[in-house]
Amino acid sequence: MAYSNKVLDHYNNPRNVGALDKHDPQVGTGMVGAPECGDVMKLQVKVNPATGIIEDAKFKTFGCGSAIASSSLATEMLKGKTVDEALEIKNTVIVSELALPPVKIHCSVLAEDAIKAAIADYKKKNSVGNHAAAQVAQ
Amino acid sequence: MEHPSQPDGGGVQSARCRQCGESSGGELFCAHCGSLQRPATDYYVFFGLKRVLVLDTEDLQRKFYELSRRLHPDRFTWKSAIERQYSLEATAILNDGYRVLRDPLMRAEYVLKQEGFDIGEQRSKDVPPELLEEVFDLNMALEELRLGDEEAHGQIEEARNRFLAMRESIDKELETLYRRFDDTQDRGVLQQVRTVLNRRRYVRNLVNEVEKELAREGQPAQ
Repeated sequence: MAYSNKVLDHYNNPRNVGALDKHDPQVGTGMVGAPECGDVMKLQVKVNPATGIIEDAKFKTFGCGSAIASSSLATEMLKGKTVDEALEIKNTVIVSELALPPVKIHCSVLAEDAIKAAIADYKKKNSVGNHAAAQVAQ
Repeated sequence: MEHPSQPDGGGVQSARCRQCGESSGGELFCAHCGSLQRPATDYYVFFGLKRVLVLDTEDLQRKFYELSRRLHPDRFTWKSAIERQYSLEATAILNDGYRVLRDPLMRAEYVLKQEGFDIGEQRSKDVPPELLEEVFDLNMALEELRLGDEEAHGQIEEARNRFLAMRESIDKELETLYRRFDDTQDRGVLQQVRTVLNRRRYVRNLVNEVEKELAREGQPAQ
């Protein structure tokens, strides 16, 4: 299949590959997968608790070129956004940016799911963290 | 539990033979005059099999050969246009059905689809998180081995054996679930089948990755 130049670019030079410390309370981790093709994608965000801004994002994806490119692009888009802005990112943006063909749209859906999962994890950690801190303070 | 109704076009459309007007007995070939009836599109109905997940594939093969012979185009050269049309349809169903039913995994996916489980449109919420973690870690380990030196070869072979063992135990698990479904016709069992099939797909990918890696190693250095 012919990949678009943008997919090839992200595939050959993926941005922000790596891992953040998943035990860090500032870090949210999203792990998602696509059963029908066996892909698995991990995406992490590091949030500044004072501003709510995503200061860093990393990913690691095992899957096809489109899945790698989708998650690479997602990490680029996440940096500098607030948590709420990040939740607004739709897979359709990724589709048009990467010119994904219809059979690869599920890759962008996976990336959107990964963003949502990472932020949900951050939020969960944070409310739990605050709760624990409040208990300690009492 | 009996299946109350077949989906549209799943069963035999009419029990009355178009050719002779007598009852066809619901068979592919009219019980009265022997002319070919409109074929059932449901593979199990077509082959006259009970809808089970554990199938006697030798019996299936015998039925396939017998029907192939009876549906041979030469036998329909002088038949009516409608019978010639049915014979073409029946041949297509025969070949597709045989391909699907003889393979235990495709057979299970076929039944899942019939039961309304969507196979192609699953999202990650259908995958248990611990499985994702496990698959991710296995992929990481494989990648590290791949980047490593020649000594990694032994470790890669070890990884392959581990994945093959995983696949084998998954197949045993499936076999057990298949039998349970055949005994109970319980939808809950199908839900479990789907989860295990997903798991198997991941492991299959891992096996393929490892084998690709071992094949690449076998090539002479560039």
